[in-house]
Amino acid sequence: MIDTNAFSLETNNLTHHFSKGEKVLDSINLKVSQGSIYGFLGPNGAGKTTTLRLVLGLLTKQQGAISFFGLPFQENRVSILKRVGSLIESPSIYGHLTATENLSLLQKIYQCPKERIQQVLTLVGLQLTGNKKASQFSLGMKQRLSIAIALLHNPSLLILDEPTNGLDPNGMVEVRELLKKLNREQGITIIISSHLLAEIERLVSHVGIINKGKLVFQGTLEELNEKQHQSSCVVFDTNNESKTLEIIREHQLKGVIRNGKIVVPLISKDHMAKLNVQLVQSGVSVYEMSVIKNDLETIFMELINN
Amino acid sequence: MTLSFIHSFQSEWLKKKRSLASLLVIIGGFFTPTIIVVARLIHYDSLPAIYANPAFWNKHWRTSWESVAIFLLPIGVIMATSLITQLEYKNNAWKQVHTTPLSLTTIFFSKLAVIVVMMLQFFVLFNVGIYLSAIIPYLLIPGVQYPTDPIPYLSFITQNGLFFIDCLPIIALQYLLSLKYKNFLVPMGAGFLLWIMALGALVWKYGYTIPYTYVIYNYLADEPVSKAAKPEMDIHLLAIAYFIAITIVSYILYITKKEKG
Repeated sequence: MIDTNAFSLETNNLTHHFSKGEKVLDSINLKVSQGSIYGFLGPNGAGKTTTLRLVLGLLTKQQGAISFFGLPFQENRVSILKRVGSLIESPSIYGHLTATENLSLLQKIYQCPKERIQQVLTLVGLQLTGNKKASQFSLGMKQRLSIAIALLHNPSLLILDEPTNGLDPNGMVEVRELLKKLNREQGITIIISSHLLAEIERLVSHVGIINKGKLVFQGTLEELNEKQHQSSCVVFDTNNESKTLEIIREHQLKGVIRNGKIVVPLISKDHMAKLNVQLVQSGVSVYEMSVIKNDLETIFMELINN
Repeated sequence: MTLSFIHSFQSEWLKKKRSLASLLVIIGGFFTPTIIVVARLIHYDSLPAIYANPAFWNKHWRTSWESVAIFLLPIGVIMATSLITQLEYKNNAWKQVHTTPLSLTTIFFSKLAVIVVMMLQFFVLFNVGIYLSAIIPYLLIPGVQYPTDPIPYLSFITQNGLFFIDCLPIIALQYLLSLKYKNFLVPMGAGFLLWIMALGALVWKYGYTIPYTYVIYNYLADEPVSKAAKPEMDIHLLAIAYFIAITIVSYILYITKKEKG
């Protein structure tokens, strides 16, 4: 029985070692809500692909639990895979077959209507490839065909590992728009991995950030934005650090000295002006007072560098 | 399970379209018959005597099978099995196959079934080729009579069946190696090596322990004079036993593989 309120994908303490004993994944607890677009971010080698291969059963699970739609994967592998479409790393396409034939062989397995083949080919812009063999496709076309394959059986959950690899900027935008449309119109939950936050920040509703095998952040994009706000700050450069800190603390603010400058959490412009007046009146010379607003990329970099 | 097996088989069958393996089956099926036709057309003056022989069909059958049993069939099975299985590695498609809603058992046996059916396809084509290679010279060369003896269908069907059984262990072992090793050269190299070993072991008392010898032994069994040792055991039963045993090992190795794409 499928639990409609359950997460589309949930992992509990997913841990994996490769043969040398080195932990490549350490207690990963992914929680992908139904209907969300979940951006799975991390630098190259962080463990994104390993996680996705594990959840799809392409790697044998060593520790932890994996469930889709509230059902344990191991015991319900076939019924779960009927509802999941995936694209892991480079395209899996039979080069000696045409795009239609590549889809036909999967149509036979999924037993979806034959018309779906043309529908998904049109969706990814490959409807005019005719008798051209897939080996003659560009990398971008192969990537599009892989997306068509993942979409063929109308899955409830799409797992895409760096799907825009090999696409030109225009192609990237097209794929992003397509995924948004699928999510909005058909309610498909999407997990999309990437090593570039900028590439997917306008697409995703939820974010999971993995680094060195550990999930360092998981939440909604708003929560990540909140983190961004929290990490924005005001920098004071004055001739008297101790006096400046004293005045800042009088304002119930937490100030720290960083590289000879005093850093406080972001405050309003009025508040900054008041502080400035008080500092000057107290005989402190203010050389610089500036706001540093971190963008999401900086937060991402901070998270993965910590 | 049955239905998903049929769907998986259809999918696997489609994969071999335009592949080198399917081309190999067609070329292999008609290669020897074509050579026979060409040779007979070149030596057309000897044809009236050949076709007048009261045991024409049996002689024609043995001539056709000579190169096939010793060389083409084992090599063809080695190549076709390896090529079909390696399609997934070559196209980086194992991960796609293993994320389809099919049990590993279905995937394993549907792929194996495609190879076995391809071999049957080869036998059908080769038999058609044998018939055509007998008929074409008769139709083209004036003065050549149609063979007088009836076609010994039952004997030919039995022989086909035995040759087919004898190549099953080669299919099973090549399938195991091709599933296990990503590098195409491993199953191919091992296959060639085992075939050469089989040729060398024909005179050995225990040559029948090498599963690649059975097709050759089967052909040589009817030779009036042969240097090959006479197998002490029923090679056809041994072939079936080897096929089952190797398939079981192959299946266990496949389902317990840690990385599936």
